[in-house]
Order: sequence, then C-alpha cells, then structure tokens
Amino acid sequence: MTDSTESPDLSRQSGLTRLKEGTYGGLFAACAAITLLTTAAIFVTLLSDAVVFFRATPIPEFLTGTNWSPNPAGGGQAFGIVPLLIGTITVTVTAAFISLPIGTLTAIYLSEYATPNARSILKPLLEILAGVPTVVYGYFALVYITPALKATLFPEMSTFNALSASIMVGIMTIPMVSSISEDAMSAVPDELRQAGYGLGATKFEVSTGIVVPASISGIASSYILAVSRAIGETMIVVVAMGAQARMPAVREAAFGIPFINPADVLLESGMTITVAMVQITGGDLTGGTLPYNSMFALGLALFVVTLVMNVISDIIAERYREEY
Amino acid sequence: MATDNANADGFGEVSRVRGIAFEYLSLGASVFGLVALGVLLVYVAIDAFDLSNASPEWLLTYFVTLVVPFLAFCLYSADDPAVTRRALGALGGGLVAVAVVFTAIESLLVPIPRLNWQLAYLFVVAAPVAAYLTYVGSNGRPGAVGFGLLGRLVGGAALGLAVGTLFLVFDSLVWFLAYTLGVLPAVGLYAYGRVREASRARTAALPVGFLGLVAAVVLRDVIPTYPSDLLIYLWTIAVPIAVAGGLVVADRRGRTVAAVAAGLPLAVATAGGFWATGAGLPAPTVLLVLVTTGVPTAVYVSRVVDVGEGVVGLALPFLIAGGVVVGALVVEAWGVPAPDPWLDAGFVTEAPSRTPANAGLYPAIVGSVIIIALVAVLSFLLGVGTSVFLEEYTPGTGPIGTLTRILQVNIANLAAVPSVVYGLLGLGLFANLLGLGIGTAVTAALTLSLLILPITIISAQEAIRSVPDDLRRGSDAMGATRWQTTKNVVLPEAMPGILTGTILALGRAIGETAPLIMIGAATTVFNPPSSLFSRFSAMPMQIYTWAGFPQADFRYGVVAAGVITLLIILVGMNGTAILLRNRAERGS
Repeated sequence: MTDSTESPDLSRQSGLTRLKEGTYGGLFAACAAITLLTTAAIFVTLLSDAVVFFRATPIPEFLTGTNWSPNPAGGGQAFGIVPLLIGTITVTVTAAFISLPIGTLTAIYLSEYATPNARSILKPLLEILAGVPTVVYGYFALVYITPALKATLFPEMSTFNALSASIMVGIMTIPMVSSISEDAMSAVPDELRQAGYGLGATKFEVSTGIVVPASISGIASSYILAVSRAIGETMIVVVAMGAQARMPAVREAAFGIPFINPADVLLESGMTITVAMVQITGGDLTGGTLPYNSMFALGLALFVVTLVMNVISDIIAERYREEY
Repeated sequence: MATDNANADGFGEVSRVRGIAFEYLSLGASVFGLVALGVLLVYVAIDAFDLSNASPEWLLTYFVTLVVPFLAFCLYSADDPAVTRRALGALGGGLVAVAVVFTAIESLLVPIPRLNWQLAYLFVVAAPVAAYLTYVGSNGRPGAVGFGLLGRLVGGAALGLAVGTLFLVFDSLVWFLAYTLGVLPAVGLYAYGRVREASRARTAALPVGFLGLVAAVVLRDVIPTYPSDLLIYLWTIAVPIAVAGGLVVADRRGRTVAAVAAGLPLAVATAGGFWATGAGLPAPTVLLVLVTTGVPTAVYVSRVVDVGEGVVGLALPFLIAGGVVVGALVVEAWGVPAPDPWLDAGFVTEAPSRTPANAGLYPAIVGSVIIIALVAVLSFLLGVGTSVFLEEYTPGTGPIGTLTRILQVNIANLAAVPSVVYGLLGLGLFANLLGLGIGTAVTAALTLSLLILPITIISAQEAIRSVPDDLRRGSDAMGATRWQTTKNVVLPEAMPGILTGTILALGRAIGETAPLIMIGAATTVFNPPSSLFSRFSAMPMQIYTWAGFPQADFRYGVVAAGVITLLIILVGMNGTAILLRNRAERGS
C-alpha cells in the first residue's frame, strides 16, 4: 500500500480502500434491507398466529359473529368481529365528519386566501395537532370534553362514550387532510386561476369551481389517509370510549323499517378493533392461548385494511393527478 | 370583488356576501383545531398547577416580579418603539376587553368553571404577548444572548440528568474500562493521525477502540477494585467535556482564557460533587449536571464577552431567578394564599402511589429516558444508513433502481402502519420469539425504533437530497471514493437536517403508548429499571394507568401534572429540533 501523502492513489484500487468501500456499502445495504425485513416480519408474525386462530374459529364465523367475549368469566368464548367493526366505523365516520370538512376548508384558506405571512405561521402550528401524544388526546376527551358535553348538550351521556373520542380523533386528523390537500391545491398552476378571473369569476368561484376540482385527486387521497389513520387510532378510544363490545339496539320506525338510533351508539361506550387488542393484553402475553392468537387476527385485519387504503390512496394520487 | 361597473341593468354586479362569508368560514376552520387544543391545554395547565385556587394577589405578585421584568427585557432587546407601543396597547386593551367580556359571559350566559378573569387575562392576552415579545426580543442582540444562555443552562441540566439516568442501567465500571482502554486510545490515535497526516493511525483507531471495548467487557469481573463512582464520572465524562470546551475557547482566545473557561466549571463541579457526597445527595448526578451546564455556559459567556455585543443579555437568568425569589418573599411576607400545584419537585422525584398527594412520576421518567436514548441510537444509525444507501449508493435505473423504488414504496407504507400493529410485532417477534422478555426496556426500544424508522429515513433522505450536487462532483473530481464523498461532504452538509428529523421522530416515540401496552410494559412500577432487561414503565404508560383511576384527584390533578410533564419534554425536544434547523438555514 502506498502512503497517500507521497504518491496519491489515483486508481482507488488499493486493497485497504476497496475493503473499506465494500464494508461501508454493505453496511448501508444491510440497513436498507432491515426496512424490507420489517414488513416481512410484520406479515409473518401476524399470519403465523392468525392462522392458528382461524383453525379454531373459522373465518366466516369470525366475520359474521355478533358477540365478542375473548375472556368470559363463565366460559363460552366468542370471537365475532361485527361489534368491533360497528365501533370502529362509528369512530371513523364521526371523526371524518369533523376532519374532512375542516381539513378541506383549512387547505383552501391556506392555499387561496392566506397571506404568505399567515401561512408560514399557521402551517407549523397545525402540525402541532398531529404531534400531541394520542394518550393526551384521550385524556382530554375523557376529562374535559365528556363533562362539557354532558353539562350542555347530552345529559344522558355515559362517562365512556364514542362521541368525545371521535371528536378528538377528528381534531387529530385535521392536519393530515389539510397538509396533503394544500400541497395538491398549491400545485394547481396560476394560469387556471387567472383564466377564471378573466372570465369574471370571483375569488370564491375560482377557489371552489377551479382549484378544488383541479386538485380533487390529492384531496381524495388525503381523505383516505386520514380515514386510515382514524381506523388505526388506539389510545384516544382506549382511554375515552371504554371497552364494551356491544351490538346497538335495532328499533322499528313507522311501517316496521328497522333503524339504529345514532345516539345509542355515539353516547354509549363501545369497542373498536384496536381497543379489543389492547384489552386482551391485560391477560396472558406469553402466547399459546386463543385470545392471544385472536389479537394477531385482529392485527392482521387492521394491517390489511390500512395497507389497502394506503395503496388505493397512492393509486388515486398517481392515476388521477392532472399533469400541468 | 365587486366591480365598479355602473351599468343600469346591473351587469357585472356580484354579491360580495358569499365570498366574504366563505373566507371567514375557512379562516374559522383553520383555527378551529388550534383553538380547541389551546383551550384544553389551558385547562390542563390550570389543573396541574392548581391555578384555580390561586388568589388574585398571588397572581399579581408574580405578574409584577416575574412577567413584567421579562417583558421589559424583551422590549429593551427589541429596541423598537412601534413594538413597544403595540405590546403595551395589547396588554392594556386586553385587560379591559377580557374583564368586560368575561363578566358579560358569566352574568348573561353560563358560569365558566375553574376560570376567573385574571386567569383568562393571563392565558388569552399575557401569554400570547409574551410569546410574541420573546420572538421579537430574541432577534435583538441582548435577547439572543439572554435566550442563548438560558438555553445552555436548561439544556445542559437536562443533558446531565439524562446521562445520570442512563447510568442506572448501564454498568459504570464497564464504561470506566471501555473509556480508558478503548475510547481514549482510539481518539488519541485519530487525533494523532489528523495532526501528523498519518492515515494509517486514523485507520487503526476504529479497530483499537473495538479491541478496547472487548477488553473492557472481559476484564470487568477480573479486576478486583475500582475507584468510586464520583471519580469514574470525573475521569470519563467531566474531564473530557471540560477539555472539549477548552479546545473550543482556545481556538479563539488563546490558552489562558481557555484554561480558565474550562477549569473553573470543572473545579466547581468537582467541589459540588464532593459536597453532595457529604450532604447525602446523589453525588455523580450533581457532578454531571454541574459539568454539562457549567462548561457550555462558560464557553458561551467567554464568546459573548469576546464579541462585546449585547453583554447585558447575560443578566436574563438572574432576572428570572431574582423574580422567582422576590415573588416568593413577597408572598411569604404578605401572607397571600398560594396554590398547591400537583406538578412540583416531589412529583418528578417520587414513585407512584395509591394516594394522589404522594403520587410521582420518577420511575416512569427514568424508563422513558432510557428507552428514548436506545431508540435515538438505533433509529439514527439505521435511518442514516438506509437513506445514504437509497440516495448515494443506488442508481436510478436498472434492476437496482427497481429495488430502490420497491424500498421507497415499502418505507412509505410502513409509515402508515398503525402503531398498535408494531406493538404486535414487538410482542410476537422480540418478546416471545427472540426471548428478549415481555415488557423489558430492550423490547420496547427495538419496537419503537422500527416504528419511527420510516419517519427518520424519509426526513434524512430529504436532508441528503438537499445537498447540492456540485459539492459531490467537486469531491469526486478530487479523487475521493464514494464513501469519502459521503463521509466528508454529504453527511456534514446534511447533518443538521438529519438531526432535526430524528429529534422530531423521537418526539413521536416518546408519546407512543399503544405499542408499549402491546409488548406488556408495566402499568405501574415503583422502582426505576435497574437493567435493560427489567420491567419498566414509561411516562405515557403511567398517564394511561392514572387516567383509568376514578378518583377526581387523580383525574384532575395527578394526570394533568403528568400530561404537562410529558408536553414540556416534547416541546423542549421539538424546540431543539427547530432551533437546529433555523441555525442551519441561517448558516447556509
């Protein structure tokens, strides 16, 4: 090996150099491989236990069962996912009622109305909403939102209920909608806006009639991401919604049309898929029992649903994006 | 935007109402979430500090001794008559407005629970004005100096406490041997190689250091006697920090000043350590905190005095400390009833308890610090490695280009996997299959590292991508290899961005609860973890547990204090990250 100070090694081919280069390249590749391994590990871990679970509880029974009681006191376990789905859908839909309109309006304001100064202050502040730990949001819902709603709007509300949890989930997901939608709206070229003004449109008409339709794919993909985040949200619902897997009472309206009173679901305690998983961890964690395996089956369902939603969101953003 | 078209038949007449209504609707939507969060934070702060029981006299005392001098300092630093006028106008006008509006709501509509107009004024007017003035004041030179000093004092203390905490689980004797046999010779060789231009000495540094570490682990049980913990910390941490500080000063001011700037805090810290031994305090922690605050402070002060601008700013910490002391004295002498905050010294130094008054967060804080330290190391190394591989080592086309794209999509999808699923991964893989144990610190650290890895990678990639290509080509033209270019050009340029992203990701990790529940972290532990494989609890876990207690004192007192502690730590971490980014942006 030549000493670099005396005669420079222009070929870069000395043994030590090559060894060093190869070692570092290999190390970096190994780091990158870990991300692939993580995905594979999630799949394998979830599947291996879920398969054991599905041998004991057939998939149709799991998907259509209306009773979820993994650790009943008197025996007679039942693993029906329907009550959990009702809980998850309740929270997701209610949260979407808050986060989607507010997030979209926020995006329109930031991209169309706000001065650059106001935008530079508002945007980082909005990110704070997504940065607060979710257990803190859950605590807020339980200790401040529920008593406030109880004192004003819904006196019959129970301490643990779906509504306050959903409100907090909605607020938490606002920045997810607003930041992605705002990116899409800012990408709409100014020529389109100027053309609108040239035709005599007002700022309101340009915003809602030109900018929003032109960025609809970005807005749609932001909606899907926000909803998928709400589905996977755990701590807010665990703290504020309680843990009762219930089927809501089906009432009869005029002419015998069955319906479900939203208040029965929203103002009462309920259980989402994520809550069910957390509740099982209160028992045995070393494995081998049916409740332990059911946790992985629920995890698999959650993982697949959120993964599919993300892929769909990607496809929408890619395929329906207007190229300018 | 109505036109001025004055046609008689109304051509071009447009109603402005709809547009204006829409603009304010969207503005309202933008601030809705922030206002909601702000109100909740105000209530949680009132509960944590028991402010609803604070008498108006108590509030007035501290407002005069603490808030007013601070605002005056900011105004002096900003040195702008317009700002002064605006701030005084807001403070005065706000006083009237809040008093009137608050009284009107209370008497006409509904009583507002646990809030009086003085508190409302404090949160709605005084706090935003103080935030604005802090921002404006920090742009002036005295303010910049004052906040810089304050940041070093607080940050140094936090760092010292964190390092002290880490030694609860890491064996200080192994560290002593590893430092003496491995780190010191390696650094020496490297420095020698740098100074004498001997590349072989530099190359040898890494293997020598590694051998030293191995030797340390082997010799740990062979060597019979060791120096005391205090001496070990002095030798392995305090002296190196002081030397590093001295070198920084020596670059600018010459050896005498450097020796004073480094020696003085070291001497104070050593004296403090031995005094603490006598006083029954944890001497090593006292030593560490004194060194990590003292040395950076001394270096900073020497630089400020050297520059000679805004030296007055150095008085800011004294102003604040003086305000607290004077306020306490006045309250004592006046006999004003003071609030009894839940969040006090006892809360952060004591173990959890069944009785709300004795409940503390100490073991949970220790657990969080240990996990976050491990997560920081793991996710930083993995994140930087992956992003360097993706950005520097792979071409955009060909089979490897396809692989890169697959990796990229995979990382984006991993970022969207619910955290509770990562918890299942940790439980199934790390805890049960690999046998690292249910609810141990190692399992938690590995799980959380994987959880934040995608975020770390994505931000590190952005930082690396923003390094101009000219720099890489320049380095290539000098005959540098790929690794040399990465190490000498790309990583130093991208480091502030990478660190910012990593710290923000760590902020996410410190608040995660669901994965910790899934891997079986303890809901309550009464002693801090003594090793990496012992059961632990973390701050969010403890908050979750307490939130489930039905007693009002827990719900509205202890948990609020825990929430505020967690949020203060989060704000500190994110603030550091933002400062890093701003400084890097200003530098480039």
